[in-house]
Amino acid sequence: MLRGEHVIARLARGRLVPHRLSPDDGRVVEVARELCDVYAAHLHGPRSGLEARLSGLEEELGPRLDARRGFKIVRALAKLLEELATWEAPTEADPYTIRTRVFELAATLPEPPAGEPGLLEAPTRDDVLSRVASEIGLEEVSGLMYADRQGAQLLGAFEEPSPEGLIERYNVAQVQGVLYAARELVVDLDEGADAKLVFHYVKKMALIYRLEPTPRGYRLHLDGPLSIFGGTRKYGLRLAKFLPGLLLTSPWRLSANVEWKGRDVLLELDSEKNDLKSHYLGPKDANEGDDVRTAFVRAWERAKDTGGWELEAGSGVLPFPELKTALVPDFTLKNTTGEKVHLEVLGFWSERNLIERAALLREARARGHRVLVAASEKLGASPKALSEAVEGGVIPFKERLAVKDVLAALA
Amino acid sequence: MIELHYESGTLVATGASSGLPEPFVWDGRTRQWRAPAGAYREVVLSLRESETPHEDHAASFEKAHLESRVAMEPRPYQREALAAWGREGLRGVVVLPTGAGKTAVAVSAMERVGRSTLVVVPTLALLKQWYSVLSDAFGGSVTVGLLGGGYHEITPVTVTTYDSAYIHAERYGDRFALVVYDEVHHLPAPKNAIIPKMLLAPYALGLTATPERPDGGHDLLPELAGPVVYRRSPEDLAGTYLAPFELVRMPIELTAQERFDYAQAEAVYRDFLEKHRLPMRSPEDWQRFIMVASTSHSGGREALLAARRRREIREGAMRKGATLETLLRQHWEDRCIVFTKSVEEVYALSRRFLIPGLTYETPARERKEILDRFRIGRYRAIIASDVLNEGVDVPDANVAIILAGSASQREYIQRLGRILRPKEDKQAVLYELVTAATGEEAASRRRRESFRGAPA
Repeated sequence: MLRGEHVIARLARGRLVPHRLSPDDGRVVEVARELCDVYAAHLHGPRSGLEARLSGLEEELGPRLDARRGFKIVRALAKLLEELATWEAPTEADPYTIRTRVFELAATLPEPPAGEPGLLEAPTRDDVLSRVASEIGLEEVSGLMYADRQGAQLLGAFEEPSPEGLIERYNVAQVQGVLYAARELVVDLDEGADAKLVFHYVKKMALIYRLEPTPRGYRLHLDGPLSIFGGTRKYGLRLAKFLPGLLLTSPWRLSANVEWKGRDVLLELDSEKNDLKSHYLGPKDANEGDDVRTAFVRAWERAKDTGGWELEAGSGVLPFPELKTALVPDFTLKNTTGEKVHLEVLGFWSERNLIERAALLREARARGHRVLVAASEKLGASPKALSEAVEGGVIPFKERLAVKDVLAALA
Repeated sequence: MIELHYESGTLVATGASSGLPEPFVWDGRTRQWRAPAGAYREVVLSLRESETPHEDHAASFEKAHLESRVAMEPRPYQREALAAWGREGLRGVVVLPTGAGKTAVAVSAMERVGRSTLVVVPTLALLKQWYSVLSDAFGGSVTVGLLGGGYHEITPVTVTTYDSAYIHAERYGDRFALVVYDEVHHLPAPKNAIIPKMLLAPYALGLTATPERPDGGHDLLPELAGPVVYRRSPEDLAGTYLAPFELVRMPIELTAQERFDYAQAEAVYRDFLEKHRLPMRSPEDWQRFIMVASTSHSGGREALLAARRRREIREGAMRKGATLETLLRQHWEDRCIVFTKSVEEVYALSRRFLIPGLTYETPARERKEILDRFRIGRYRAIIASDVLNEGVDVPDANVAIILAGSASQREYIQRLGRILRPKEDKQAVLYELVTAATGEEAASRRRRESFRGAPA
């Protein structure tokens, strides 16, 4: 994520256009590559040296990208690289103890320590430093005195991205930067978008949503608890962190109401008209669950008797605004009498997930929905949590979710 | 039965048989009655008054044993301030000049309320100073917590910054009964004004020397922290409570090389100002220059670099170092504090003279230790970056040396002067080392002009 000072955007007909670097532009790729290389080459070097080098590169590389804002773009790229770095302390000695000893010794002198030895043989700075050096058995006391400052840290590890990878991160980060000043985010999720994933991030960022059906899917209004008392930018940061989650799926369109340089302006994005790529990995459960779901569909198709129930893909979103979440069932089961039951499959779960699910089931029942949740016994927290959840209506499974267990729960 | 709950900076009421009056609104998003957390006092008072049965699950304030260990004999005006604040229902703003002991008023207020307290301050330097004062006062019975500047430890007495409170108040807004806003004139800033909305705290104390804001934001103060309940100006307290001091200005000549480099940088900078017809008389003009230069297509970047270089030469003038050495020698038996603008210079001089350096980077505990040792004379001198802009006290120094000044702070000298305390019968001295034949001289003159009429 960028800091406010790195964010660049322009206004075009009342719409805000965040700055973007083209991954197809040779000059841009070259600059990104040089920055990645500088970082990688600095492994085990001190932070202050790297920072001085990068600030020199602002002048050197910046004008190649943009005559006026080039230095800012380079600075922003460097900030994103910094997020991929791990820093470590340069010494095992404790600089605090060392400097405290130095100060205490110096304060006992009859006059301030002289810079150079003089004829009067007044105590010098070197006298104090070498005495401390012999006490602690380390050289270079002057250098160690403030070795705990940030600039003295060493670059311990660096996850070097490809130049293109850095540019992709930059483009997402600039959109995020604009969202810092957003009051509200409106997302139109069209048919085919993974609503479950979207609600995962809504909940994760502790946003409050309002849901409206649209002809093509759903419209989500996202903001926070205090927003109801008048728009606030307070939730802008969370909306910005939500964005890479949304980028994991499509199709959608979003618009955000942004306060930009004292004006109210709009940011609009369409998943089909941009090439933004998320660096989020998605919820842990996604892949685990997918295998189980595919296997279940196959098992269902092969099953001889399904008791008159038909399996369909999940039909939409069941909102639970009080619980600040929504249930997005994987499947909907229908029988001949028109009865509908929703089924959700949890591949990976934590104790908290399960407790929340059980609360959701209760709430759904209270509202006349029938919802089944299947959870793997293998992955997850404690058997105790699972057995409690089973009492609350959760179907446990081992490797695969069996058709007969689901049918038993339906009966 | 109405139940009140705290939820992410808001107050939620459930179980109401009918609609609830303002400040509650119906939140259709989550189907709840919701009010800003800041309305808690008003809500509870009106529920009690109307004898509406209710259960309060919102507040989780703690009673804290807050009795100051440090003998603090409140000065009469501090006692008056506290009494006035009490009469207004333990809510309001106290206006006292810098150096008049606003912190002591807050400590007494905390004793009086005796419940968990959040202190909100504008800078990391102040965060650390409050940590130190509150640890001294209440450290025996409570641990002082810090939120901000890399610290995230919440205790019944926690100090935080406006920036951190803006982000985190919604998580901890149910824990504090009293909130103290230091330098409360920062509170009406658009971002900060949302902080009181997220806090249940029924009691609030605002402290400042100057509540007025150029944008008129002070009109919001009564709503955010309470009305001004007590006010004294520097003139009211002059002589009796603020220490007098002597001001000595020492001109520093640039070396030949420095003069040459300076003239070059100066030419580039002045040329840019002239080309864009930019005046340079006030801090606003400087802001304007930065803006114009950073967006200008031609020469803006060079002008910025020249302006920086010019300042570096002025502030880093070689002879300043030598003069400092002489002054330190002369005052080695005194309690001497050196100020400079640049953090890097603090560390360079700390290494050169082997005296402790204090900057915003210094960890809170170490900062307290350094100041404690300085106070008892175990350290003779300390060097600090410009952490005094907003009333950080370093009591018990009788000599101050300013290495690099700026004209932007009109009250700078008074502020520094007020922290000085005469030693025995020796008057406190403030030295200002000003580079000759540069803009710094004019800056210093401006400060001295505004300084006339203050106690000296």
